[in-house]
Amino acid sequence: MRAFLICLLFSALPAWAQAAIVELKMRPGIIASAEYLAGQRNKPAVLLLHGFLQTREFPTVATLARGLHDAGYSVLSPTLSLGIPRRKQSLACEAVHRHSLDDDIAEISLWAGWLKSRGHHSIVLVGHSFGSLQLLAYLEAHPDKTLSAFIGASLIESQVDTPSRPALVTELESQAANKQRTLVTHALSFCKKYTSTPGDLLTYVRWDQSRTLAALKASPVSVLLIMGDQDEMLGRDWIKALKHVQTPMVIVAGANHFMDGEHEFDLVEHTLNHLERIQKAAPR
Amino acid sequence: MKWLASISIKQIAFAFVIGLLLLVVLIGGFAVYQTRSVTRDLEHHRLDTARSELEVAVKRLLGRAEKQAISLAGWDETRQQLVLPEYYNYWRDQRVYESGMLTKLYERVALYTASGILLDSRPATHGMPASLPKLELPHQAYSWLVNEAGAIMFYHAFPIYGDDQRQSLLGYGLIQLDFMLALLHQETLRIADKTSLGLALKPGEALPASKLFSRLTFSAQPDPDQLMFQKILSRTLFALFVLLVTTAMLGLVAYNRLLVRPLRHLSQDIDAMQQGRFNANPSRSQPMRIIELENIRRSLYDYQLQLRELHGSLENQNREFHSQARQDALTGCHNRRAYEEDWERFRHDMQTTPQGGAFLLFDCDRFKTINDTYGHAKGDRVLTVIADALVMALRANDRLYRLGGDEFATFLSSTTPAQAKQIAQRCQSLIDASGFGELGIREPVSISIGIAFCPPDQLEHIDDLPKQADIAMYTAKQPGRNRIAVYGEDTERASQTLVASRETSALFQALATPGMIEMHYQPIHGLPGRQVDYYEALARIRYNGELIMPGAFLPVVSSRRLETEFDLAVLHQVDADLSSGQIPPGCGISINLSAQSVSHPEAVSRLLELSRHNARHPLMLEITETSLITQMVEVRTYLDLLRTIHYRIAMDDFGTGYSPLRYLVDLPVDVVKLDISLVNKLGQDDRASQVVADFARMMSDAGYALVAEGVETEAVLHKVESLGIAHVQGYLLGRPVPLSTLSAHHAGQVAEALARAV
Repeated sequence: MRAFLICLLFSALPAWAQAAIVELKMRPGIIASAEYLAGQRNKPAVLLLHGFLQTREFPTVATLARGLHDAGYSVLSPTLSLGIPRRKQSLACEAVHRHSLDDDIAEISLWAGWLKSRGHHSIVLVGHSFGSLQLLAYLEAHPDKTLSAFIGASLIESQVDTPSRPALVTELESQAANKQRTLVTHALSFCKKYTSTPGDLLTYVRWDQSRTLAALKASPVSVLLIMGDQDEMLGRDWIKALKHVQTPMVIVAGANHFMDGEHEFDLVEHTLNHLERIQKAAPR
Repeated sequence: MKWLASISIKQIAFAFVIGLLLLVVLIGGFAVYQTRSVTRDLEHHRLDTARSELEVAVKRLLGRAEKQAISLAGWDETRQQLVLPEYYNYWRDQRVYESGMLTKLYERVALYTASGILLDSRPATHGMPASLPKLELPHQAYSWLVNEAGAIMFYHAFPIYGDDQRQSLLGYGLIQLDFMLALLHQETLRIADKTSLGLALKPGEALPASKLFSRLTFSAQPDPDQLMFQKILSRTLFALFVLLVTTAMLGLVAYNRLLVRPLRHLSQDIDAMQQGRFNANPSRSQPMRIIELENIRRSLYDYQLQLRELHGSLENQNREFHSQARQDALTGCHNRRAYEEDWERFRHDMQTTPQGGAFLLFDCDRFKTINDTYGHAKGDRVLTVIADALVMALRANDRLYRLGGDEFATFLSSTTPAQAKQIAQRCQSLIDASGFGELGIREPVSISIGIAFCPPDQLEHIDDLPKQADIAMYTAKQPGRNRIAVYGEDTERASQTLVASRETSALFQALATPGMIEMHYQPIHGLPGRQVDYYEALARIRYNGELIMPGAFLPVVSSRRLETEFDLAVLHQVDADLSSGQIPPGCGISINLSAQSVSHPEAVSRLLELSRHNARHPLMLEITETSLITQMVEVRTYLDLLRTIHYRIAMDDFGTGYSPLRYLVDLPVDVVKLDISLVNKLGQDDRASQVVADFARMMSDAGYALVAEGVETEAVLHKVESLGIAHVQGYLLGRPVPLSTLSAHHAGQVAEALARAV
């Protein structure tokens, strides 16, 4: 009886049994971790990135990871350090943000490298919300043939709450140029008060819609955006703009920014569908 | 036992009140003691509760600090600072508060490197130690307290790891808080007194948190409910005590008014009644408020009224009896009893208030003749007129006493001989002026008055006044006198001294000396046999070897009013003679007795005692007719008594006295002894003899036993025999003989009788 239950346990939790926490030293004193769900080797690995200031434990990302893994894909879900060793919690907006987009891109690069080191030669970048933007920024900064596709769920630009982004950029550039270390606080994305250094903040502020659209257009890999038509966090006419640049996009009716509820399955499904198309389209 | 003596109701009330107050004090004291004991226990309990409350508060505070430490240690931003400490101050001063890690301004946190060095380069600005103290267990949290300039600061140091396995030590965190401030701010201490909280810590001294409680000083807040209770209890006890004292006092007052005072009044009234003092106006007694007491008061009042009426009635009766007992029934003046009482008082008054006093003795002249001539009824009227005249002649405060028969007396105080003589003359004048003729008395009625005077400087002789007056009175009766004589003026002193008379001396001595009176027994013969039926006891006085006959001393007896004393002496001697056994058995004895002695208690007692001889010697009492019986009822009563014990009563010297027929009617007489004067008439051949003989026959027919006295001739004897008189007495048949020869004489008489019978 006991052996039967153990077998049942193991059979019920096939994915969990193969989950592993990977830690990498991103920079001195900063160790980041990722959850690696090993899947079928013949399928591309997924580098799944969470949203702004979140962790891999965020429900949208965690569900997607399980769903992809259940479909046989290897999934690596890192938690960006954001300058905090072994970060485990979502970082508060008011925290002192000692991270920049460049740092994020560097960490993503390390994680992609890790996947490669694991023998994954096809890596699909899947991101949620700001994570999609960070992956897009990484894709722009480090195009790599092992990167096979980009799926961005609820892609969003770096939102600022200022009438003139250019003025903010200019200000931040000026402060950064002056090596000002005094913390500044501005609205960024959903954070009304985002405290950071001018330089670090600037890296995020530069990624407005235009730049995002340009990056999508210039993506070296296939792009698929999965957007919810009820996503209230998106900027005005953002989906319209995306359509305008003919970005491949799936609009999930009724889904919000987090694709929660029943729409989480839609997210998984659409992601899997695209992954299959990618596989089919991949040269043998 | 003295302690069982009665106690007053007031003392009972006081004792009750005192006892009640003592009891209240004891109970109150016990209540106070118990209350204090309970209060102490409650205070101890409250202190324990305060201790427990503080323990919980301190534990909670320490626990909170521990939880904060755990939160801080696990917080990403904490690790961030330990790795990138560029903005540590911002994190320490702002982030930890705005993130909610620390909530109070008195809570501070500082980060230290893995080697225990403060991250902040300016530790002095924040009061945190620049480095952590060396810990015994460096990788474990540790708490301590320090007295920093009077403020007790609590520190909690905790390690911060970079990994979940606690392998990578990044550094330490240190939470600092003002312990007292935190404790008081955090906790609502209900029992422990916040103002009393303190920690016995010397300045600069560090105390491990584990020993915190041992140094904590505190006290418990007073329990307001307990204080209120104590206050209420104290007030209640005090009020109760005051109330009880007041009630006791009021009760005492009410008790005194409603119970004690009325009872005391009742008691006083009862005491007064017992002593014969009655409430002058009982109707004015205040009604009592207590129903039972009021009933008692009413009953007592009614009883008092009845008692007063009875007392008054008794007093009236007493006065009447006293008056009657002191009043002469015939004349209405005072009797001999009153005389004796008043004379004693007079003598005492004279002794206490020396003054001249006089004794007047009044005697009606030839009263016996008047009585014999006109009868006893007129004789009584004469005495009454004399008494009325004397009373009128005397002064208002003077009293007239009837001593007996026709003899009266009075004693005058505050007087002189001349005044006494004047009064005597006035008496005589009024007597002379009295209308005795209206009574049919043809002969002049006069009185002889003897006066004896005692000057104030010779009061030692006051007892001699009656005898002196008696002598003077006899002197006044002598022919040639004007019937008023003053002792000492009109009497011969030398021959009239009280103790010079031979007969008088002999009499007085015989009265005082048993055996001096010698009884001679004269036989009384029964007719016709002339046997001796009994003997009459006749008294003689043996004085200085000589025998004094009755003719010599009886006048002294009469004049000295010594009839009863003499009769008592005679009875004593007769008793002795009867007890001696020398009187032949079966012989009766006849004893002479004056009428006064019949009603004298001692004489009656002596007669009762003498009656024991009745079985061997029938006894008879001969009442001399010559004595005037004034208390007829009393004499009759005693004679009836004596007859019940077998005494026979004889009327002696019948025919010579005051009211012979009256005596026979009123008194229980068995034998009538015809006087010698009547018997001698029988020897004469005349009308008088016929009268006597007819009278004798009549008496004999009436059932009286007759005795003829003084038979001295054969002719009289024959006459007596012919009249059928049963007994005879006289020298013809036998003379009185002394006791010593009585037995022989009786034997001779018996022989003669036998010879005659043959």
